[in-house]
Amino acid sequence: MLGTLEMGPIIRSLTRNKTGAVLIALQIAVTMAIVLNAVFIIGERNDLIARVSGVDEANSFQISSTGFASDFNHMQTLEQDLLDIRAIPGVVAVTTINAIPTSGSGWSMSLQTESGENKTDVGTAVYMVDQNGIEALSVELIAGSNFSENEIRYRDGNQEGWPQNIIITKALANDMFPELDYAEVVGKTVYINYTEPMQIIGIIDQLQAPWIGWNKLENAMLSPEHIASGDFSRYFVRTEPGMRDDIMLQVEELLAKRANERLVEGLRSFEEVRERSYSRHEAMIQILFVVMITLVSITGKGIVGLASFNVNRRRKQIGTRRALGASKAQIIRYFMVENFLITTFGIVLGMAMTMGLNMTLVSVFELGRMNLMYLPLGAICFWLLGQLAVFGPAIKAASTPPALATRTV
Amino acid sequence: MLKMKNISKVFRTEVVETHALREFNLHVQEGDFVSVTGPSGSGKTTFLNIAGLLETYSSGRYLLDGKDVSNLNDTARSKLRNEKIGFIFQSFNLIPDLNLFDNVDVPLRYRGFNKTERKERIEHSLALVGLSNRMKHLPAQLSGGQQQRVAIARALAGEPRFLLADEPTGNLDSKMAFSVMELLQEINSKGTTIVMVTHDPELAQQAKRNIYVRDGKVSELTDNSGSSEYQEVVNG
Repeated sequence: MLGTLEMGPIIRSLTRNKTGAVLIALQIAVTMAIVLNAVFIIGERNDLIARVSGVDEANSFQISSTGFASDFNHMQTLEQDLLDIRAIPGVVAVTTINAIPTSGSGWSMSLQTESGENKTDVGTAVYMVDQNGIEALSVELIAGSNFSENEIRYRDGNQEGWPQNIIITKALANDMFPELDYAEVVGKTVYINYTEPMQIIGIIDQLQAPWIGWNKLENAMLSPEHIASGDFSRYFVRTEPGMRDDIMLQVEELLAKRANERLVEGLRSFEEVRERSYSRHEAMIQILFVVMITLVSITGKGIVGLASFNVNRRRKQIGTRRALGASKAQIIRYFMVENFLITTFGIVLGMAMTMGLNMTLVSVFELGRMNLMYLPLGAICFWLLGQLAVFGPAIKAASTPPALATRTV
Repeated sequence: MLKMKNISKVFRTEVVETHALREFNLHVQEGDFVSVTGPSGSGKTTFLNIAGLLETYSSGRYLLDGKDVSNLNDTARSKLRNEKIGFIFQSFNLIPDLNLFDNVDVPLRYRGFNKTERKERIEHSLALVGLSNRMKHLPAQLSGGQQQRVAIARALAGEPRFLLADEPTGNLDSKMAFSVMELLQEINSKGTTIVMVTHDPELAQQAKRNIYVRDGKVSELTDNSGSSEYQEVVNG
């Protein structure tokens, strides 16, 4: 079997005419290194993008209001706005909120399980919401209880001190009390600003922090407060499915009725917020994709070019082989095997270059280490690419008439 | 061994129809050594290509070793070529990137012989042409005569019944041509049938018989050996 594959003669022939083959093998190696690392980066970025925020993304939006009139009454406005928005048909829930998950801008604090300085702390995002926060954000309360209406306070921007009760995510509960089941965390006291005690009254399943690149993205706490700083308020609204876009316009019109007293801005669906946050990742994916396609296409064309050149250069030789008894299939196989050997050399080189490039990316850009499974999968893809690219020229070679062997010109 | 009856070959383009062979008749018997001569364009190469199954014909009947090759597909023709026919070309047609061993190995691999058998055959056939000590040399490292000997070794390695030589001495000086001719006669004496196309009348006379082709037909037959089978060769 191996004899008919002509591996030995092909290898010996290639070693005597190495330039073209080595160049193609190098091209395959470089392409493989770049493409596999690009695929790996795309995979990592896609995993980031695919993370669940915890919010009902398709049916939520935000809008903000900043009073500028001298007699603007922020508290009264806020209460009236909440009432009016809630009254719009199709609104499921509305809450004031200081920051939007995954938006890139927010408030973080450290919580400790023990009071005092120099104690172990855990970072968390802080969302100041009212008793409707859980419903508006569409997060699930999996243990404990929600805030009551009468414990929601107005917080001036410079006001010190924190509310007595908080609700935290399951991830934060596990982070602070790794030895306990999350349900057992309800009722525990944690400390903010080193010594201020707060009691955990509820656990929600999931809610991401505003910073998508943060390694504690799943750590978040809800604090029962209306933020009342600088006459600014932000509302987070959840609607019935399919009604978001209509309600967004209605809410904007509603708030804009008092346009002589305040500025209404920041009307944005949650999907848009998320899209903006991940836009750099999306752009990176697109760029890498274009680079990959370009490189693979150039390499494929390179293989076609070399094979076509070899076919044209060796027409007499192919005719002779046909005259000596090679069938068309054997001629096709000759070129396929030759390409397989060149590609294999490129792939072996490419595997080393892929790992080298990955290690460089790991140390310089702090990317993750590539899963070794990428290498055999990449090898299979490049073998297929090589075989596909050489198939056309191989067919052309096989069509060389055996009578060419007797032509002297 | 080779029997052609009324073989015609027409090359057609959009405007021209060229009759390369017309009603071509020939019968070559087993163990024969036939030279084919004729002016340029007379149809010698077309005859050789058809005889060697390198080309198909337009009409007529061709029996090779008793087998009608008219309806064989390309794969079957390739197989028959590989098993029954050895080729010797004017410009040797050795593969420049392969050493002598690998060059002789080419048709044997297509034949499907195992490694041991191939090695034995290659060594034997290279020894037969006096080049067993140069197996690892590349064709470019040999003289023209030596290259033609390698081509002969390649043709003989598969032990074909029938050897087709296309101007085998055309690219050689007279001394080398003589040596190659001697080798062909020696091979023929061992029973291999040879058909040789040549321009050289002196070489043609060294064959047992000579056919002269003109305008795509056998126009003359000369028996150089005084064989009684002359008429059969003439009439097919």
